[in-house]
Amino acid sequence: MLEIRDLLDARLKALLYGILGTLGILFMGLYFFQVIHADKYVRLAYGNRLRLIRFSPPRGEIYDRNGVPLAVNETTFSVMGYPLDLDKPDMLPHLSKLLSIHGIPMSVEDLEKTIKKQRGAPYRVIRLVPNLTMAQMAELVADPEFPNQLFPLPVWRRIYPAGALAANVTGYVGEISESELRDSRPGEYVGGDLVGKGGIERYYEERLRGVAGEEAIEVNAKGRKVRTIDLRASEKGQDIRLTLDMGAQKRATELLSEYKGALVLMDVKTGAVLVLASSPTYDNNPLAWGVSTKEWQEIMEDADKPMLDRSIAGVYPPASTFKALVALAALEEEVVTPSTAFLCSGSLKLSSRTFRCWRRSGHGSVNLLGALQNSCDVYFYQVGMKLGIDRLLKWAKKFGLGSPTGIDLPGESAGNAAGPEWKKARFKENWYQGDTVNYSIGQGFLLLTPLQIARLYAAIANGGYLVTPHVASTNFRPPADLAILPDKLAVVQKGLDYVVSRGTGSRAGRFGVTVAGKTGTAQNSHGLDHALFAGYAPADDPQYVAVAMVEAGEHGSSVASPIVGEILAHILSHPAESYDPQTLDEIQEIQEIEEVQEN
Amino acid sequence: MDTLRFSVLKEDMAALDKLLFGSVALLVLWGIACIFSAGSGNAGRGGEYAVRQAGWSVVSVIAYVFVVGIGYRKFMDWAYPLYGLTLLLLLLTTLAAPKVKGVQSWFSLGFIRVQPSEFAKISLTLVLAKVLSRYPPFSLKPFLSALGAGVPILLLVLAQPDLGSALVYVVIIFSALFVAGTPFKYLGFILGLGTSLLPFGWFYLKDFQKMRILVFLDPMRDPLGAGYNAIQSRIAVGSGSVWGKGFLQGLQSKLRFLPEPHTDFIFSVYAEEFGFWGSFVLLFVFGIIFTRIVAAGMKTRDIQGKLLVAGVTAWIWFQMFESIGMSIGLMPITGLPLPFLSYGGSSLMSISIALGLVGSVYAGAAKRYK
Repeated sequence: MLEIRDLLDARLKALLYGILGTLGILFMGLYFFQVIHADKYVRLAYGNRLRLIRFSPPRGEIYDRNGVPLAVNETTFSVMGYPLDLDKPDMLPHLSKLLSIHGIPMSVEDLEKTIKKQRGAPYRVIRLVPNLTMAQMAELVADPEFPNQLFPLPVWRRIYPAGALAANVTGYVGEISESELRDSRPGEYVGGDLVGKGGIERYYEERLRGVAGEEAIEVNAKGRKVRTIDLRASEKGQDIRLTLDMGAQKRATELLSEYKGALVLMDVKTGAVLVLASSPTYDNNPLAWGVSTKEWQEIMEDADKPMLDRSIAGVYPPASTFKALVALAALEEEVVTPSTAFLCSGSLKLSSRTFRCWRRSGHGSVNLLGALQNSCDVYFYQVGMKLGIDRLLKWAKKFGLGSPTGIDLPGESAGNAAGPEWKKARFKENWYQGDTVNYSIGQGFLLLTPLQIARLYAAIANGGYLVTPHVASTNFRPPADLAILPDKLAVVQKGLDYVVSRGTGSRAGRFGVTVAGKTGTAQNSHGLDHALFAGYAPADDPQYVAVAMVEAGEHGSSVASPIVGEILAHILSHPAESYDPQTLDEIQEIQEIEEVQEN
Repeated sequence: MDTLRFSVLKEDMAALDKLLFGSVALLVLWGIACIFSAGSGNAGRGGEYAVRQAGWSVVSVIAYVFVVGIGYRKFMDWAYPLYGLTLLLLLLTTLAAPKVKGVQSWFSLGFIRVQPSEFAKISLTLVLAKVLSRYPPFSLKPFLSALGAGVPILLLVLAQPDLGSALVYVVIIFSALFVAGTPFKYLGFILGLGTSLLPFGWFYLKDFQKMRILVFLDPMRDPLGAGYNAIQSRIAVGSGSVWGKGFLQGLQSKLRFLPEPHTDFIFSVYAEEFGFWGSFVLLFVFGIIFTRIVAAGMKTRDIQGKLLVAGVTAWIWFQMFESIGMSIGLMPITGLPLPFLSYGGSSLMSISIALGLVGSVYAGAAKRYK
């Protein structure tokens, strides 16, 4: 046993000597770095010669279906600097003075605020002055007073050639806010980056964004670049092609120019949106430049709400346009047949209340087709009561009313198609038969967006398929079969045909194409009635559906129906390229890839 | 009974190695100062970290005294169950714990997070001492069985994958085998085997671990990412030059050039502020510590005690060598704490327990000679 202990002691001693030897190696290593080469590292540390520059990538561009540019990039210049250099005294006052000499107003406080917002590590570059033209930048750099430590960097700026024509669809970009920065994944954005703030720019931010590039450089004592140490190029974001047709969109904007309202035009089979106009509109170019707080406030406080996209976020009573759904529901539930007739005396007395028909003198004895054609309110009061609120709401839900359509734009409203339970919870009141009567002519609590109405009419026109409206061509979703009986649907289609060919919507049919549709005049407690028309064309082989909503337009028949007639005639005489099967396959492929990625 | 226990403890305490204890206490206090300095930059959490580390030091002293009182022989009796428990904890951590930087090594106990891989170093050392003292590795069979005892823990920690801890285990196993008297041909065999397996090991590394090794070979490979740490750390150490920039005057850590200055890169902070003379003093104190730990092993007649001391020495040595070596670019970056100085409760506690075991070996040897 003694020998083992001796062996172990010898080995322990060897271990200790080995360890003391490694301490010697460390000692020599430290001597090498801290004594022999100390000067070099002291110099590197005090100057800290390593600098990082980030290049924001060019954003993906946005085009309409024919390739008309809606959002493109243009080069501008920014003045950049590092916190290490900017923290030196006198730097900011000097710079502010220099900028004002060259006609760029920026106070010391402005500069300090900009720096504070972007400050990360001291070697990470900061954008001091954005959006300078080539001429401005050249003038600044040529000034001998221009600080050596600052330098120009080319950056992309967003331009919207279509401006106000499609601002509600394209949206706009703006500098990332502090809360957005906090919520983003690490490394994804830095302060000063541009992100989509509305419309397509926001909805498809991830696709449009691209990947930022980065460069590490060594600088000399004056802060000037000596050499590039590492470089990673930026990658451009994906371009996005919209289903929008700028020719039709422009025509729609003109048609709406005198009014407040919205106009939607959609392919009845695919749900591709060709026109999505909202009036009044706004120019998104200044927003991308960065507007002052005052200008922003003016836009936000405008009583006409130009930033509100009335086509997807404005909610209105659908009024008589809703009657097409009531008629279809009544036929499907076998509450009425096409020949069921009611007597319209001009009003309906219901216990203590009287519900009037829009035509005070009454329509006499009317059947379903006649009631649609002349928009007889009393007929639909009767039908609505027979149908009952539950079955009526079941059908509204079936057509997606009361929930967002799923269009690929932010800020869509769900509208309201809620019934007794909702009323009880909201107003602590029971549901009365009068409420059902109101619903049956599209009034009361019922509120829909123009796009929801367009989707309803697309389903009536295409044989009972519920489409998903979309503005980016890749966002096509196969329509859902609602299993509507063709003969029942044919009755409603015939009724809508009569509305234009011989009834209240005749003005929609004066533009050379056959239109089928329905007028609507929505009661507005705040002022004049809203005018509505929902229709599709050609009546015998529907391709497009259009919905016009004119706030305070008083009569659907006189104001809204010609707008729909004209835009349908325009698109049919300027046919837009439709999807070919190959593209559809490609689209589905992209969708599959996206679904895999989401999982 | 109680008074007897207490008097034994008192006797043990009196017999402890004062020089060793004093040296360690000096480094821990110095470490707290560096942690304070490291965190006193823009982030401003230095005070908080220092207070917490001070709290951990107090707990660690208590643990140290407690272990000395129990005595290392009791721990030897529990070696197998303790080893089984750590294996279980490591397994649970690998399966369930949240990932910190892609590595699962933390185990949350409600309010504190512990790293079972730290405490596994203790149980591994105990098991190796027990196995090797009972079956001296002079022939192939006992040699292989001792080697086999270390394999499961190595596999578990590699699965996390915690490369740094795995390396510590390898060093502990190798040193225990060496001190136990394993013939050189066997030792040469595992060295050769390890070297030939290295290229295969490459495929099991996570991307960031591969990057660290590539960057060690060429720091300019990725100066924006992983290599940045290596370059900046070397700048910090080098710019400390002979006399250092002075306490709290280090710029590299304050301006956040250094990543995680209070844990992995604590030596860079130290060397920047105290310079070459400080580094020299630090190495000198570490030299004293190793000499005194090994002295405990030389002093005792118990083979288990000697092997225990070998494991603990190797463990502290490797972490010190790797941590200091990495800060000047002599070793690749692995993220191992510098013993006694780095911020971290689990690390300080486990090393204190180990030193308690060493102290108990030393005190036991002293008693026997009376």
